[in-house]
Amino acid sequence: MNTMSQDHGTAVVDPPRQNGRAAIRLQGVEKIHRTDRIETVALNQVHLEVQDGEFLSVMGPSGSGKSTLLNVIGLLDRPTKGKVELGGQNVGSLSDRELAIKRNREIGFVFQTFHLIQDLNVVDNVEIPLLYRQLPAGKRRGMAQEALERVGLSARTSHFPSQLSGGQRQRVAIARAIVGRPDILLADEPTGNLDSQMGDEIIAILEDLNRSGTTVVMVTHDQRLASKTARIVRLFDGRQVE
Amino acid sequence: MITNYLKLAYKVLLRRKFFTFVNLFGTSVTLLVLVIASAMLDHTFSPMAPEVKLDRTLHVTYMAMRGEGNEWSGSPGYGFLDRYCRDIPHVERMSLYTGAHAAASFVGGEKVISQMRRTDAEYWTILDFAFVAGQPFGAPEVADGARVAVVTESTARRLFGDRTAIGQTFETQGQTFTVNGVVRDVPRVRDAAFADIWVPVTTLPTDLWKTSLMGDFNAMMLADSPRSFRAIRTEFAARLPHVQMTEPDRYKTMSGSPRTRLEDVAAEAVGTTEDMPRTGLFIGVLALLALLFMLLPAINLVNLNISRIFERVSEIGVRKAFGASTGDLVGQFIVENIVLALLGGAIGLVLSLWALQLINVSGVVPNADFHMNPRIFLYGLGLSVFFGVLSGAYPAWRMARLDPVEALRGGHR
Repeated sequence: MNTMSQDHGTAVVDPPRQNGRAAIRLQGVEKIHRTDRIETVALNQVHLEVQDGEFLSVMGPSGSGKSTLLNVIGLLDRPTKGKVELGGQNVGSLSDRELAIKRNREIGFVFQTFHLIQDLNVVDNVEIPLLYRQLPAGKRRGMAQEALERVGLSARTSHFPSQLSGGQRQRVAIARAIVGRPDILLADEPTGNLDSQMGDEIIAILEDLNRSGTTVVMVTHDQRLASKTARIVRLFDGRQVE
Repeated sequence: MITNYLKLAYKVLLRRKFFTFVNLFGTSVTLLVLVIASAMLDHTFSPMAPEVKLDRTLHVTYMAMRGEGNEWSGSPGYGFLDRYCRDIPHVERMSLYTGAHAAASFVGGEKVISQMRRTDAEYWTILDFAFVAGQPFGAPEVADGARVAVVTESTARRLFGDRTAIGQTFETQGQTFTVNGVVRDVPRVRDAAFADIWVPVTTLPTDLWKTSLMGDFNAMMLADSPRSFRAIRTEFAARLPHVQMTEPDRYKTMSGSPRTRLEDVAAEAVGTTEDMPRTGLFIGVLALLALLFMLLPAINLVNLNISRIFERVSEIGVRKAFGASTGDLVGQFIVENIVLALLGGAIGLVLSLWALQLINVSGVVPNADFHMNPRIFLYGLGLSVFFGVLSGAYPAWRMARLDPVEALRGGHR
């Protein structure tokens, strides 16, 4: 783990790692949620650079903007202000369709609550990202099997989510996230619904993926898990404080 | 992708059994009623044996005589039809025949009621009865007032049991007839053809019918083409002012017009305006009923589908996160709804065939021979698919445009 300054309101920019290319670059990103009466600042002037192949944790109390940050990076949400670059490309001008394609090809998501589709079995769940690449069924099936092998679930391909433990479900979710071989893996509290042993197993899988070159950004409340990552970014009230 | 959609559609249908039941029930019962209603309409209005030339046949079943304070309306008399309606251009053949009336016979002391009609010889050349034995009576028998009869198969059984009917005699209305021919039973809704017994018109007991303007007769006019109907009606109308009224002090004018079967039924169902059937109103009412019948379940299905799709907001969020476009998601839900509509259609098809068979054998409609109209079934199925697509596309389009973050918050798996 890298050392970080505790000065509030000051972001410490860590030295570039891995191959030195920025996988993710956020400049002056703001996200304001507006309803009829209330305006909530979810992200406020966030500057962040994540190098290719880096494993980064995002920490902060509830409501600090961690998930919003992940959603902005994952192109699920557009910032109100600021610039987002993925792999050197400014995504601000991309259409919804182009964003969908970019999500499909470059980003994988792991959610705290797994978000598996109950009506589909394990392998069909894992295949979902490949469906939108118009790959032939045989190719899809092969890639899904391979992803399931990576997370140690190749023996449960025809099980349904309801037949799996929490840890197994999260492993299916990870397989789904990596099946398309994305450059970036975004994990939002991936161990939040798991006990510590299963949580460690999940982190081990994420570390393994990171070692093979995938950039991983993980939101977590757990300092112990965060300390296993190369860098920690802390948010408070939408501001980046570390 | 389509295989995956189909697989998911199958799973979704199994998982939400009540929704699936309601949806399939709505679609299949709507189709069932549509098919039965169309079979009944077909049975009534389309050319079908013995009325195989119904599409170019006009009927004179209603006339009215009016004078100051006097009106006589109803079936025309033989005298009027015979004297004023013959030799109308474009009419290839014309038959005059009475209505079908109850006639009693006694078999072994048991009273047997049959519907008897008196006809001319042309009747058998315009209508195409299926003779199982013997033949119709012809012009010579009619001219001679021969006491011969054609009976239906079931009437022959009731009158003569298992004995061969041809040559047998029976008595009804004080007259004895010899069976000359046996035909297949005729559906009740075939208004001009239906009866159990047919005998020559000249067997009527008195000669009064020969000169009466109003009475108990109908005319069937076989036109050379349906396009000639207008010319026939015009000529018919042109002859009416020349009718010599038999009671000129009471009745001054005669009105009425040859009608198609549809116009006859319309006149009976919704009445007439100046003796002309309100056919447009009749068709409008039928169309409105059909529309309401289809629309109400369709709206329900749309609502059901909307709530079903909204339940799956989380899945939509996941799919969007992994790269699904609006088109992908709309396509997925449309496939699901098409599967559902087709399944409902298949069940509706089986139910319809079964129900039509049941009606045919039950005797609810005498001598009914209802058939499915494949065209109407396909229209119904097409409408079901259309509403299925509509009810899937709209909510899916709305949901697919939903912010993926919001969609992901919509549920947890």
